[in-house]
Amino acid sequence: MKILNNMKSNLKDIAELISREFRTIATSYSILLVLIGGIFIYGLLYNYMYQPNVIRNAPVVVVDKSNSSLSREYTRLIDAAPQVTVYSNEVDFIAAKELMKRNEVVGIVYIPKDFDTRVKRGEESIFITYGVTEAFLYYSALQEASSGAMLELDGRHRADMVVFLPANDVQQIAQSSPITISENILYNHTEGYGNYLIPAVLMVIIFQTLFMVIGMISGKERESRSIRLFAEKGTSLSRVSRIIISKTFVYCILYAVFCLFLLGLLPVIFDLPNLGNVYEIVMLLTPYLLSISFLGLSASIFFTDSETPILMIAFFSVGLVFLSGISYPLELMPWYWQAAHYVIPAAPGTLAFVKLNCMGASLADIQTEYITLWIQCGVYFILACLTYQYNIKKAIRSTDLIKNANHDYNN
Amino acid sequence: MISKNNSPFYLVLKRELIRMTSRKLYLGICIVLPLFCIFFMATIFGTGQMENIPIGIIDLDQTSTSRNISRTVSTVPTFKVTKHYTDIESARKATQQTKIYGYLVIPNNFEADVMAGRQATLSYYYHYALLSVGTEIYGAFESLLEPLSMTPIVTEAMALGISENQITNVLVPVNTQTHPLYNSGLDYSIYLTNPFFFILFQVIILLVTVYIVGSEIKFRTATQWLETANMNMFTAIVGKLLPYTVIFCIIGIFANYILFGVMDIPFSCGFLPLNITTIIFIIATQAFGVFLFSLFPAIGIVISVVSMVGSLGATLSGITFPVPFMYSAVYYCSFLFPVRHFVEINQNLLYGNYGFAYTWQNVSALFIFPLVALLMLPHLKNAILSHKYEDIE
Repeated sequence: MKILNNMKSNLKDIAELISREFRTIATSYSILLVLIGGIFIYGLLYNYMYQPNVIRNAPVVVVDKSNSSLSREYTRLIDAAPQVTVYSNEVDFIAAKELMKRNEVVGIVYIPKDFDTRVKRGEESIFITYGVTEAFLYYSALQEASSGAMLELDGRHRADMVVFLPANDVQQIAQSSPITISENILYNHTEGYGNYLIPAVLMVIIFQTLFMVIGMISGKERESRSIRLFAEKGTSLSRVSRIIISKTFVYCILYAVFCLFLLGLLPVIFDLPNLGNVYEIVMLLTPYLLSISFLGLSASIFFTDSETPILMIAFFSVGLVFLSGISYPLELMPWYWQAAHYVIPAAPGTLAFVKLNCMGASLADIQTEYITLWIQCGVYFILACLTYQYNIKKAIRSTDLIKNANHDYNN
Repeated sequence: MISKNNSPFYLVLKRELIRMTSRKLYLGICIVLPLFCIFFMATIFGTGQMENIPIGIIDLDQTSTSRNISRTVSTVPTFKVTKHYTDIESARKATQQTKIYGYLVIPNNFEADVMAGRQATLSYYYHYALLSVGTEIYGAFESLLEPLSMTPIVTEAMALGISENQITNVLVPVNTQTHPLYNSGLDYSIYLTNPFFFILFQVIILLVTVYIVGSEIKFRTATQWLETANMNMFTAIVGKLLPYTVIFCIIGIFANYILFGVMDIPFSCGFLPLNITTIIFIIATQAFGVFLFSLFPAIGIVISVVSMVGSLGATLSGITFPVPFMYSAVYYCSFLFPVRHFVEINQNLLYGNYGFAYTWQNVSALFIFPLVALLMLPHLKNAILSHKYEDIE
């Protein structure tokens, strides 16, 4: 009976804490703005910005010194490639460089004077491609287009070249066949940049907004000293852990809805990769949201008002994408950033989500990240309890000091 | 008679210096965070070269030819063959676990097929789910295997006494030489470190600007601030922002020195134009922050808006996905961000220092930001004096 009563009062306490937390969130414009702006507007905006997905028809200029039917055939082939389009083939090299400086073209294809004659002499003919590296996507577009055009041209003219071989041997050589090289893209075969980046960005958005909201709420509590209200039922660790659990419950409920929008609805609307099993994604999101909440509550030790969290958190969104190992492989980073990858929930969470959602992995395949997230949950939960206990006691102590000082002053 | 030491400007400046040094927070966000960004961007890419990417090989043939191919693959600097798998399924699994990023399959009877002149196939697999790694692996496999595909014919021809040169000319009459300009090694730290440091930095500058101005209104000290400035909004704002401008400029110049001096990222111009661009950029960004804040001077609301605007800079600077290929609405919006102009100027300076003739539009745009911020100052002053925005949270 005593245990039952105890549980009942604990649950009642938790219910009160939960409703208080909901009220805090619902009555603050700035928190609602972070949630609406960060989740809904940002989620839609990012998808819209990356919707073009691939580079098509990047302008290149052809400097055709050869002016032969072969060079024109080659120009036509380059123009036919989807990645690039020929801006002009009537300029000299100096004018071409000028176009490049003015950012009107992303590359120059230089066809030398003896392009045609060398082929007709049975020699190897070379054309030269210069590409800008302002964005690697420009360069790879140009490279794919020019090498594709080259392979096609070689295939077309190989038969003409046979005359340069001794007539008796041709028969025998023709009997051996080349090795076929087969290129297979496993995932994201559209080569889309948005398809690759957006799923990761969505996970980072979840992390950043939740982290900021928690920071703003706990910063506000400390700033207005309303954090002392938590002390009315004592500051024992079991009581503090109830506070942490209630707060986390509220965040997880809210973010369950937001995740449904970000990771459930947006991929359908914008045709993002969507290979993941829903059940497994939920399994991943559980420790992800929990560990972010606990981390956010632990970090509240640094946040003394409701604006500092934004100052300290917002700038690093891009850094988190790097740290997750999505854009640059984790193996090639120095050891300390590899270690940092396992400390911040956003990094393993994002990587695991990309594996589940874009590469069709199963829970077994994200074992490392999944276990990491649960360990983070445990560690950050303890840290969060200790931080809150410390913050509450500190707030009480400083008010006591003020009270005492006033008391002394009045005496 | 106002002496130099009692001029409003001097008093505002002095007041701000005292405010600055009174809270540890300012040290953290103005100095520690930017220095952390420099360190992060300078080290995150390791050597900057995508080398030793883990891949796997599935050798189902197990002959001298197939082992020869495996050895050739493992000599390519891009690759690090971490494991030889015995079946395709386990290699695909390892790819899903990102233990490897791609694999090569040498099929059964490969050697026998090649020797007999039958059709033989080499397949390689990679993925674009992690796009940048996928591109590297594709490029390395292609340049390795395309020449290899001709070897049966070349060997046959050479056995008949035709020189290697002669037969390759017949097989590949037209060949290409590709030159990436400026960043010839396609090095990631050359590509990303410099622009991304400034992208992170501009978020900090925007937020700090909004915070320092906004905290005056929030903590109800704004009237006192204006009175110190003799009710002149221009003096007030310039005196307030100047210490931060100086700090940010020092950090920006220091970053340029670290990136281009210590890390040896190539640049075509001298340090002077780089540093001047950095200073103009910092001032423009601060002005942009003042402008955004003046639109709705309630710090709690506007700081989260500004944090989002700042993060958009990463996309709209056009470093990762070129802005001209986004929708035109996005393309034109990108010019509203100082960081876009800064990146354009900087790329011009770094890649060839083509001259002012190619960047004057961007430089002028950076100078317009302070002017636009000036237009908003009367509104900001009214907002401060009306005390309307103090309790909005």
